[in-house]
Amino acid sequence: MPDEPHPTSPWRSSRAGLTISVALCTWNGSRWLGEMLRSLEHQERLPDELVVQDDASTDDTARLVEEFSQRAPFPVKLEVNPVRIGSTRNFAAALERCTGHVIALADQDDIWYPAKLARLAEEFSADPTVTMAFSNADLVDEQSRPLHRRLWQTRRVDRILRNHAVVPAELFARRPLTTGCTMAVRRRAIDAALPFPSALADDESPMRHDRWISLVAAAVGTVRALPEPLLAFRVHPSQETGVLIGTQLTRALARAALRAVAGPPGANSGTHRARAAQLVEASRRADDLGDFKEAAILRQISALHSERIDNGSNLRDRVGAVVTCARGGAYDLSARGAGSLVADAFRAIRPRPAVDPEPPRTPMRVR
Amino acid sequence: MGGDGRVRVLSVIDALAAGGAEQVAVDVANTLDRERFAPYFCATREGGPLVERLHSDVHLDILGRRATWDVAKLIEFGRKVRQDGIQIIHSHGRGTLKFVAAAKLLGLVDVPHVYHDHFGWLHTDRQASTALRLAFRSGVDAYMGVDSRLCAWASSTAQIPSDRVHLVHSGVDLDRFEGSTPRDLRQEYDLPADAVVFVMVANFRSPKDHPTLFRAMHLLPDDVRSRMYVLICGATDADPEYFAGCTAMIERLDLASHVRIIGPQSDIPGLLGGADAAVMSSKNETGPLVVLEYMASGLPFVATDTGEITAAVRDSCVGLVPAPRDHVDVADALSALLRMPESERRAMGARGREEVRRRFDQRIVTARIEAVYEDLLGSARDGQTFPAAEVVAGTTTLSEPDLQY
Repeated sequence: MPDEPHPTSPWRSSRAGLTISVALCTWNGSRWLGEMLRSLEHQERLPDELVVQDDASTDDTARLVEEFSQRAPFPVKLEVNPVRIGSTRNFAAALERCTGHVIALADQDDIWYPAKLARLAEEFSADPTVTMAFSNADLVDEQSRPLHRRLWQTRRVDRILRNHAVVPAELFARRPLTTGCTMAVRRRAIDAALPFPSALADDESPMRHDRWISLVAAAVGTVRALPEPLLAFRVHPSQETGVLIGTQLTRALARAALRAVAGPPGANSGTHRARAAQLVEASRRADDLGDFKEAAILRQISALHSERIDNGSNLRDRVGAVVTCARGGAYDLSARGAGSLVADAFRAIRPRPAVDPEPPRTPMRVR
Repeated sequence: MGGDGRVRVLSVIDALAAGGAEQVAVDVANTLDRERFAPYFCATREGGPLVERLHSDVHLDILGRRATWDVAKLIEFGRKVRQDGIQIIHSHGRGTLKFVAAAKLLGLVDVPHVYHDHFGWLHTDRQASTALRLAFRSGVDAYMGVDSRLCAWASSTAQIPSDRVHLVHSGVDLDRFEGSTPRDLRQEYDLPADAVVFVMVANFRSPKDHPTLFRAMHLLPDDVRSRMYVLICGATDADPEYFAGCTAMIERLDLASHVRIIGPQSDIPGLLGGADAAVMSSKNETGPLVVLEYMASGLPFVATDTGEITAAVRDSCVGLVPAPRDHVDVADALSALLRMPESERRAMGARGREEVRRRFDQRIVTARIEAVYEDLLGSARDGQTFPAAEVVAGTTTLSEPDLQY
């Protein structure tokens, strides 16, 4: 018996082998698209398909993709939206069309290093619980010249990501840590994230598709952060997911701090309301898949956001809410967390302008 | 050596509750070569159902430790080790590791310490805390991982010198399954005569991922699902929130008549012997030992592709191995197994039994553990640093042929 060959298994997993789709969303991207497509062609591990969703470009973008499809060593599936729908919905449409076990998200203006897909694929093959892997990136300028900075450092998330080889959902719930073009996501996490909930499109505090996908992927599986840069991320004024460098970032942080401290009562309430709704939705997705603990953590963080909504209560309640949030872990142990705590505390104790009593309501007429 | 010339080995674990790590500890103690080794066993917290499975010649002590750092029990443990003339301590589980390492650091015990790592949460926790690093650095003389990912973690993250890291996959004590009396599960649980009875041995803890099984069953076509009955055996009190979520899901997916939660069972061989098939839907395993038990019972199985034991038998036609956390793939595998003629299912189970005898007999595994003990004792005698044993693992994942014992 030991030396006899095994009979052929009557069943094989449809997930045997790993297929990779690249989901590329485009919009008037002809200036840099050629370079991006060439970098895909030179991947050490080629994708099994490239799914392009063009958001009604008015330049040569679609033609460039069609030309590329003639010579590409993998199938290229282009779809052009009849009208512009915006990047988040465009990504949703692209993701729906992908057939791979793993989907790597791509932006039209970046340059992938040859090892990118191979390295990401390694993570998924090595551990079936991995639902998402993402890397660092080198920053380059409009002419593809290196800026000698990296994405994580510029976004000030380097330390946190280096300390978390596995990034829990809780961290994604607290702050954005990823950029779509650095990410590859397992199909079942994409399935859990789709359809994107309407709460993402909040006017005051929208959540981008990449943060949403990261949040859900971490809630329903394992997310790995790879510190090595696997692509060149282009920094230019017209990009949608920009990075702020040096004084730009300092100024933006100062503006946010000023708004937080000196803004009118309830200045941040819209953000907290939106975040609470988005996190409740993520927890529901985790619950559906049986990730009960992760769902409970997201619900807890959502409740803390709700607590931070300024509903015009009295001083004692406002201070009580800050204490509750601090004890509940709403402020992380970082300069950012400490800043939020100080701002919330300051707003809570700041004297409020007298509010006019509510005018008497006109009785409703009944016909 | 003891007075009879045998080496006295003390296995240490928190409790003798039903679980994979506990079963491995018992199987190792039971199968140590009695000519050369005298087995002792210590449960630092409490006993449990596995007490009955320890052979009568294994000396058992239950310390009744209440807290992680119970100083009185630490002192008592040190005294027992000295009194019994223990020469090797073999601990299982991270709580016990810290306990034994503390005893070593405090000078309460002074014998080589082998730590056997079964940690099943590597998919969410790859950190090595300061306490853990300290325990590894000063309180552990040899590290045994049941999975190459654990060994890689031990070398890279926990920074244990690679010559102290040993990969030792789990095996199964076949004596437990030979001659067991199969239970009549149809009668016991009032199941239809034409039911295909699956058993799932998995405590209700999140790595076991019962929800993926439930979602898969929900996807099955009615005519297939109607024949499938699953008895889930395992503790329900380890994670009450998870258990509540699972029971709610069973109700929500309308599976209550096809899924029975039967709690912990002492007679696993009898339970498995009475089933037609087995299932495991874990998201992460570092064994999984239970697949070996399914095979030893001659059961065809559907087991998610996690852990190196499952990987080693993936292509042996002894069970169906869908992707973990993938309810569609699990449903597909269940459906294939349920549609198989009974004779084919039985043939698959018989191949599994043969395979486990050939490759996963606990005696083969225990022999490798004994080699590590002897290396340690040789080093201790010679006053050398510990040499690399035959089964040292590097920091890379082992290839398929390496998985064969």
